[in-house]
Amino acid sequence: MNAPQHVREIFEKLARGSHLSPEDEPFFSALSANFADYSEYFSPLGFELIRHEREFFYFAPENPDKVPDTLPRIAVFAYVLIDHAANQGELIEEFLLGRNFLISTLPHFSLERYTTLLRQVDVHDTADLKRILDHLERIGWLKWLGPDEFRFLRPFHRVFDKCLELSSRPSGDEPADISAPLP
Amino acid sequence: MHTGELSEGEAFRLIREHAYSHEELPDTTWRRLIELQILVPTEPGSGLYLLAEPVGRLLTYLFDEASPTTPEIVRGYIASLETLGQQLLSAVETDNVTFVGLAFAEINNSLRRIHADLGETQRAVQNEVAAFKTNREQISVRDRYRRIVYWMERFVGPMVEIVRPDGPMAAVFEETERLLRIAREQSLFNDHPALERNLRYLRLVRQHALRVFQECRRELQPLYESLRRSSFIAAGAALALERLLHEGISKWGNTLVIGLSSLRVQSVPSDAAITLILNRVITHPPEPAPIMTLDESPERPAALDRRLWLDSLPTDLANVIPVEDLLFWLSQHYPGRTTAEILTGFSRLFFDEQFVATFSEAGEQDYLMADGALRGHSLRLEFA
Repeated sequence: MNAPQHVREIFEKLARGSHLSPEDEPFFSALSANFADYSEYFSPLGFELIRHEREFFYFAPENPDKVPDTLPRIAVFAYVLIDHAANQGELIEEFLLGRNFLISTLPHFSLERYTTLLRQVDVHDTADLKRILDHLERIGWLKWLGPDEFRFLRPFHRVFDKCLELSSRPSGDEPADISAPLP
Repeated sequence: MHTGELSEGEAFRLIREHAYSHEELPDTTWRRLIELQILVPTEPGSGLYLLAEPVGRLLTYLFDEASPTTPEIVRGYIASLETLGQQLLSAVETDNVTFVGLAFAEINNSLRRIHADLGETQRAVQNEVAAFKTNREQISVRDRYRRIVYWMERFVGPMVEIVRPDGPMAAVFEETERLLRIAREQSLFNDHPALERNLRYLRLVRQHALRVFQECRRELQPLYESLRRSSFIAAGAALALERLLHEGISKWGNTLVIGLSSLRVQSVPSDAAITLILNRVITHPPEPAPIMTLDESPERPAALDRRLWLDSLPTDLANVIPVEDLLFWLSQHYPGRTTAEILTGFSRLFFDEQFVATFSEAGEQDYLMADGALRGHSLRLEFA
C-alpha cells in the first residue's frame, strides 16, 4: 500500500490531538480529497480518523483511566464562554465562531462564580487563560491574530457537540430529544 | 406603549418625561387628557385610568403594532359561520328575504374580520421575529428559546392546523359557499353583488390564511431551530459547570471533558541514543570470558561453615534449655568463635520463634571471648 501524501506530517499532528481544518493547508485538502485512503492507512495502526460533519478531521480520542489536567481546563474555559454567551441572549455558535476576541475582554473573571469554577482547575489569572489559549492553538481550535486577539476555528464544534450530548441526557428540565419535530 | 392601568401619579410621570416644551404645565396636560376622554377611569371614582380603546387602536395603527389572533378566536369565527349557514338555509327554505339579507351581511363581516385578523397576526409574528433577531431586551438564550416555542405552539402551529386545505376552516368555507349558491338559486333574494362579494371573500380568505401562516412558520422556523440548538448547547455547558461547582473536579471524570487523541511517546529512546548504544557495542574491545571453577574444593568455605553453625544453634540449645545466661553458654560451648560470630549466634537464638528471652536479676557480667571481652546483663532463654 502506497502511503498517502503528507502522511507523516498529518499523522504527527493528529496523533498529538490536533484537529485539521481549512486553516491547515495543504493537509486539510489532502484529507478532504482522500479521506478513505487516510482512514484505511491509519486504521491498522489503531487510529480512527474522524471526519466531522462540519468538515474538519481528528483522531478519535482513547478513553484514558486518568484524564490529563489540560482537558478539564479546556472544558471549563469553553463552558464558561458558552454560559456567558447564553446569558447575553446570543446564538452560541454565531457568537463564538463569528467574531474575534481579545484576552483582556474575556468574561472568565467577570463573575465570582466563574472565578470559583476556574480556580478548581488551577486557572487563576489571565496568564493561565493565555496558556489554555496556546494549547487550543496547538490542537487547531484557535488562531492567534495578534498578541491579544484571536478567533476560534471550526473544530471548536467539538465543544458544542459535548454540550449537546450532555443536555440530551434526560434531566427533567429540558426535552431530551433534540431531533424532535417542530411544534 | 403602556396599555395597562395607569395611576394619576404614573400619568404625571409620563407627562413630565415626554413633555416637548415647558409652555404647558403637567396639570393642564392631565386635565386635557381627562376632558378629551383620552384617559378614562377604569370605573366611576377610581384612581386608575385606561387609554381609551379608539385611541389605543389608532396608536396601534400609527406605530404599526399588531396583536396576534389566537386559534380560539379563529375557531369562534368558524363556529359563527356554521351557525350563520344554518340560519341562511332556514331563511331560504321559508323564503324570508330579510333574514337572507342579514345573514349575507353577517357572513361578509365575519369573513372581513378573519381576513383582517390574519393580516394582523402576520404582522405580529414579523415584529416578534425582528425583536428576536435584534434581542434588544438582552434576555438569555434559553428564555428567547422558550418565548419562540411559545409563539410556535400558541399561535403558528395550531393556526396552520385550522387553515390547512383539509382543516376545519376549509370545510366550513365550502359549506358556506354551497349555501350561498343555494340562496341565489332558490330564494327571492336578488342582491347579486352581495353574493359575489361573499364568494370573493371566501376565496380570498382561504388563500390568504394558508399563505399567512405558512409565511409565519417560514419566518419563525430558522430562528426557532437556531435558538433551540443554542439553548441545548447552553444547557449542556450549564449542567457541566453546575456539576463542577457542586461535586468538584474529581467527579468530572471522562464524561464532561472533550477527549483528545494523545499518542504517548514518553521514555522512548531517540534514534541518536540507539545509534550511540550500538556504537558502544560495536567498538567495545574484546576480552576473554570469565572462567568458572567447576571442580569441588577439598575444604569447606568459611561462609558455608558459619551458615551451618548458625543453623545448628537452635537444635544444640534445645537439648540444654532453659539456659540462665545465653551469652555465657555460647562463649563456653563455642570457644573458638570470634566475638562477631558469638553475637550473630546470640541474635539468631534471641529472635528464634521457638524461644523466649528474659533478662535475669543478676547484675553486670563479664564475658571472655576468643578475641576480646564483653560486659552485659545475663539473658535467660527458655521455650516459648
